Amino acid sequence: MDSKKSAKRFLALYFLIFFGAIFLRVDYFPFSWVPMYGYHVNGPAVTVAVGHLGQRERGFAAWRADDLGVPAANFRRLYHQRAFNQGPPQDDRERAALMPFNRWWYETLVGPDPRLDRRYADQLLVSVNQTFGYGPRDPRRIVRLEAELDFATFEHPDVAVGNLSRPTIERRTAIITEQGAFLRKGGTVTPMPRRFERDAIE
Amino acid sequence: MNSETISRRSLVDRFFFDWHDAAALGAVRFYFGLGLAIYLNIQFDQNLKIDAFGAHFHFTRPIWYFSLLGIDTNVPWISFAVMALLTIACLLFALGKWTKPAIIAIIIGIFYMKGVRDSFSGDVHHREIPIFALLILFLFSKCDRMFGIDARKKKLPPIEPWESSWPLRAMQIYIALFYFWALVAKLRLSGLDWFTGGGRIQHVLISRAVRDGFTPTGEVVNLSLGWELAQMPNLVWFFGAMVFLFELFFPLILLVRDWRLKLIALIGATVFHLANYFLMNVQFFFYPFVFVTFFNMNLFHEWLMGKLRLRRSVAAVAT
Repeated sequence: MDSKKSAKRFLALYFLIFFGAIFLRVDYFPFSWVPMYGYHVNGPAVTVAVGHLGQRERGFAAWRADDLGVPAANFRRLYHQRAFNQGPPQDDRERAALMPFNRWWYETLVGPDPRLDRRYADQLLVSVNQTFGYGPRDPRRIVRLEAELDFATFEHPDVAVGNLSRPTIERRTAIITEQGAFLRKGGTVTPMPRRFERDAIE
Repeated sequence: MNSETISRRSLVDRFFFDWHDAAALGAVRFYFGLGLAIYLNIQFDQNLKIDAFGAHFHFTRPIWYFSLLGIDTNVPWISFAVMALLTIACLLFALGKWTKPAIIAIIIGIFYMKGVRDSFSGDVHHREIPIFALLILFLFSKCDRMFGIDARKKKLPPIEPWESSWPLRAMQIYIALFYFWALVAKLRLSGLDWFTGGGRIQHVLISRAVRDGFTPTGEVVNLSLGWELAQMPNLVWFFGAMVFLFELFFPLILLVRDWRLKLIALIGATVFHLANYFLMNVQFFFYPFVFVTFFNMNLFHEWLMGKLRLRRSVAAVAT
């Protein structure tokens, strides 16, 4: 930049691009509208996964984390979230409370709302098999993964006064097969929901 | 052109071009580059915590540019090589040797390492976004013309103060507004629900504290401080209100010239990042190194060198 005029032109373009991404709610690196922890919905209760380091180190029912070559923090997300068909946070917030213009460009240029068709658990089984080089017809392929985890539910009145001493603990098991992903709670096994209607999530 | 337009233009000129002296940009580059080497090692450390010659994990969700390039598998040893090159590039950038190529190498290295880290499970982190924006400004500025090896060896002519000032001011705007946009995003997505009662902060405190489980005696394994705080909703609400005020008013720092006032504001921001780390394990704790862009680091450097020279001469006299 050899003149102030060219520097100002550059700055105008620079801020148009970086701050334009904020208006358009772009969150694709290296641009962001800085949503990070911004998405929050008040509910009647707070349900969180209660981890268990030893269990996580043992890994999925058949394969250990270090066998897969996945860093611990990423493996936690695979075990706690993807196995239970929960996507990354950006999928939950990307299309939440969008104004019409931004919804239009997202659905035209990026694709459908990721919240409406969730196949995170299925993708996990595909990734594990492909990591070991097992194709869809390979007889050595892994046909079932399981992840077991406790979930703690804190009722809102307790949370509001800071009483975290009496959550309801429920053991859930994610069962991922080629026929779909299932959730075992108590003594019952139910398919994990994949498809959602927009009305149900907004 | 009427007088009002002239006055408005001169205000823009004063804001961008009349703030720092000529040597400031090169000195900021030096300290920023050193900090960047540490920051990136912290950010991408997890890519290096797996067996370099172990399994090639097939990403569950490659980041968008990996998808475009057809990169769907992690080859672990590449991360080790890229991290070494990235660190070297940061040091070359800091020292002002092959500065512009080093910036391009850093950007490519960040894209690769971030791509790997975020593609395992598909969570896209935001910790490299401001870094990229600042590196673009270094790239298009004359940051290599002073305070560096090439500048000294090639006897490059010094730059004008305005050439040093505008990139630094643009960096400051980006950094300051990053906080402000984060507040706008909270309000766009969640409204005041984010702050109501314990709000989002209490929810994150609980989920982060229990994610590694409990000890046999009933204590959380990690983040016990966050667990304790989650049980004090009034205090959590107070911190939420502080976050609101901090993010709302932080851009005012752009109007402050006094380095002491800026230091106070930036210490506040640093406390914010450290608290997020110790309470919720949010990995922005070394991010405050970017605040060197707010100061005349040339004056700081001269002061630091003066102190070191004084210490050496005292030691020499004593011996």
